Amino acid sequence: MADVDLSEPEKVYILHSVQENLREDGRGCEDFRHMEVETGLISNTNGSARVRLASTDVLVGIKVQLTPVDPKKPNVGRIEFFLDCSANATPAFEGRGGEGLASEITAMLTRSYSCFSAIDYTSLCLLPGQQCWLLYIDILLLECGGNLFDAVSIAVKAALFNLRIPNVTMTKDEGGIELDVSDDPFDFKRLDVSGAPVIVTVNKIGHQHVVDASEKEEACSLAKVMLGITEKGTVTAMKKEGSGSLDSESISEMIESAKNVGIELNKCLLNILKEEEAKIEEPVGFLR
Amino acid sequence: MPTDTRRITGPETSRSPYDYCQIEISKEENQNELIKSDKKRKDGRLAAQLRPIFLKANVISQARGSSYIEMGQTKVICAVYGPREVMRREDFSLKGQLTCDFKFTTFSCRQRRQHQQDNQEKDLSVQMLEALEPAVCLHKYPKSQINIYATVLQNDGSALSAAIMCASVALATAGIEMYDLVLASSLGVLNTVLLVDPTLQEEENIANETGKSPQNAGTMTLAFLPSLNQVSAMTSDGQFLFDMINKSMQQCIENCQKLYPVLQQCLVEDVKEKANLTHA
Amino acid sequence: MQAGTSSGFAFCLFSATFLFLLSISTYSLDLNKFINMSVDIRLAKSRVVGLDVYHGDDPGNIVTPGDIITADTGFMRGHGTYMSEDCLHSSVAGMVERVNKLVSVRPLKTRYNGEIGDVVIGRIIEVSQKKWRVETHSRMDSILMLSSVNLPGGELRRRSEEDEKMMRNYLKEGDLISAEVQNVMSDGCLSLHTRSLKYGKLGQGTLVKVSPSLVLRRKTHFHNLPVGASIILGNNGYIWICPTEHVEAGETGGYETNLQPVSRSEREAIARLRNCVLALADQNVLLFDTSILYTFEASQKYAVKDILKPEVILEVVDLVQQRLELEGS
Repeated sequence: MADVDLSEPEKVYILHSVQENLREDGRGCEDFRHMEVETGLISNTNGSARVRLASTDVLVGIKVQLTPVDPKKPNVGRIEFFLDCSANATPAFEGRGGEGLASEITAMLTRSYSCFSAIDYTSLCLLPGQQCWLLYIDILLLECGGNLFDAVSIAVKAALFNLRIPNVTMTKDEGGIELDVSDDPFDFKRLDVSGAPVIVTVNKIGHQHVVDASEKEEACSLAKVMLGITEKGTVTAMKKEGSGSLDSESISEMIESAKNVGIELNKCLLNILKEEEAKIEEPVGFLR
Repeated sequence: MPTDTRRITGPETSRSPYDYCQIEISKEENQNELIKSDKKRKDGRLAAQLRPIFLKANVISQARGSSYIEMGQTKVICAVYGPREVMRREDFSLKGQLTCDFKFTTFSCRQRRQHQQDNQEKDLSVQMLEALEPAVCLHKYPKSQINIYATVLQNDGSALSAAIMCASVALATAGIEMYDLVLASSLGVLNTVLLVDPTLQEEENIANETGKSPQNAGTMTLAFLPSLNQVSAMTSDGQFLFDMINKSMQQCIENCQKLYPVLQQCLVEDVKEKANLTHA
Repeated sequence: MQAGTSSGFAFCLFSATFLFLLSISTYSLDLNKFINMSVDIRLAKSRVVGLDVYHGDDPGNIVTPGDIITADTGFMRGHGTYMSEDCLHSSVAGMVERVNKLVSVRPLKTRYNGEIGDVVIGRIIEVSQKKWRVETHSRMDSILMLSSVNLPGGELRRRSEEDEKMMRNYLKEGDLISAEVQNVMSDGCLSLHTRSLKYGKLGQGTLVKVSPSLVLRRKTHFHNLPVGASIILGNNGYIWICPTEHVEAGETGGYETNLQPVSRSEREAIARLRNCVLALADQNVLLFDTSILYTFEASQKYAVKDILKPEVILEVVDLVQQRLELEGS
């Protein structure tokens, strides 16, 4: 990430401002920064989305592929996450620089989506025991301005909402079953994302905690808790990160905040995506 | 993808034959409840009962500190090297560095593992590091690094918590300054049942159960510093209702406190042993 | 060596305090705790865009790399130009500036090009022999010599070997300073000095980074704004906003930092100023005391956090621009 090295008085200032519930940019502790979402902006994908959260910029593209099922789980489809920390974001990501961060984010995403209520995995299976869809979810980090995990998860959910899986017709012939993938762009099925989680990161700063921390605030925080939260408020994955330790009471409070914010985030996101779908407009992409 | 060219690897997509017959097995098993009618689990434990623990310090003589733990059939060995000077100069820091390396041996699980660390192992390494880091007085070791290597010899569930405790004991025997010992405990949750210290089979059953829309189905691992009363790591997989998270967290903390004397006793015995050796 | 170990101690003290803060479980600050939260997600399509991008007349002197500026050989070549085939070409995209016979092209987004006498804000990145390296958004790291700082205890003190060992106690990595450019070396490296009481280490406050070309050169870059906060507009695009009292109390070169909590009203003013500065920078309006104050006034009807929203930024900055144009500045 960008080099954020703060002096001690600056840290004290941020610490006090969090305590006062009036953060450096005037936000309260549970306020998110302004966010922009757009879906369907890359035509070569089956589903795509771009999310800009203040200066954090994430682009997600999903491609679907037919693949033999995992013999351990013969009647479900699979998803796989890949994250590319583009050196466009910061030169520190050059070469293998971003690998650690990438594996951390993908691990958290995999865990929050590994829960079966997240998306309907059985609908991704075409022929139980034989063929299923494999969703390659590729995430590209274009700019880092704090709170990457949340922004990435929102973009993933938006892209899944946008996902159009081509319909497949199955015909039985003498050799077995033949699969025929429709090439009509309007012959597709959608995925139900109402159970898909978003990740909410809660940073502990001093005695208080904040959501959607800026890079400066992240530099002041020694411990954070990340949770995958669905629209109903269930937790699909949880992880504590950072070199500090926390007591159980403050963890409970942080989870509570994360739950409230997570429910709100999911609701807002779904509303805005439905609104976008209702309008038929050309995507703006990167032009603005 | 980087592969180890010096080893002869099998075909990339090879699978264990057990994968294919498992469909039958799991069907059969799902009929059996996790908890049988006599309120006991398959291995005869009560829901809130831990497995017996065997813990021994100083098992690798050449390491600075080491220990071995057995929790039922889960067996983990851990070694600590350092503090020693950081080799890469650009990593200079006035605080010491701690690294963790978590590895399943190739034969430790039902499916054969690869020699190279896979994503799950990397993730577990990071979680282990985060559990241990708050406990180590890293500011006492400027410019140096401390390396922890944990190897799971046999995985029968709760491998991460076993590895964390094992490493904590190994750090203590290495004479590295710590604020507190680190304890860890795992928990499997299915609907309203809390299964303490789940076995591999129970973990898998819970993971498979998630398909049938239960309320809670998941596992949680928590690391705890008992005398500071602080949680140093916490991770969960699977679905938890909000209230259940708190309940499980409390249960984990309780279990950690139960384990505290075990670790203490092991260390005390180790110190006694060493003292005798020096006298002789 | 001694300096190294002592600062190591200071560092561990700091981390220890953090651990301590984290370990206290109960706190009684429930007054304004989470009454509301806000999540604001919108569509990229619905973003409002200012219709009138450029307010003044077409300047007519915008060039791109390779453009011929003039074929007249009577001019002197300045920065951002090169000679080829008897024509003066531009080597950057930007605006042509003529001062008498000197022609130069000024790129609008660039690293900071220092000039002697500029006020800059910088962050210490390295403590080395008799000097500090300072990051000032310049092409190269700037240098602050031990001999060009005021040390506590008077201006005319001799710098002893002791001082050299104590350097990390005066300024350490991560500290922010305000300083003046003393000299520009031949390789473009800036040499700074803080030999005036108004310069020195900065205490509590917030740093905003904007493009250096947005900061208007003025007689003074230190302003005590009548809104309860002070602002230092560094020529290098780094802008420091802090409580006024800290500035006045800190005229000792800033070696004693005040770590007392800043009052809520001041905090609010600082946060508002920060957002106003970012709003102006977002709309590419020159930053100086009047424009910032006008923005501050125009933004009063909005809550501080709302000034982060694009439509509010547009509205507020538009008002400010109209007012500035009316007053003919």
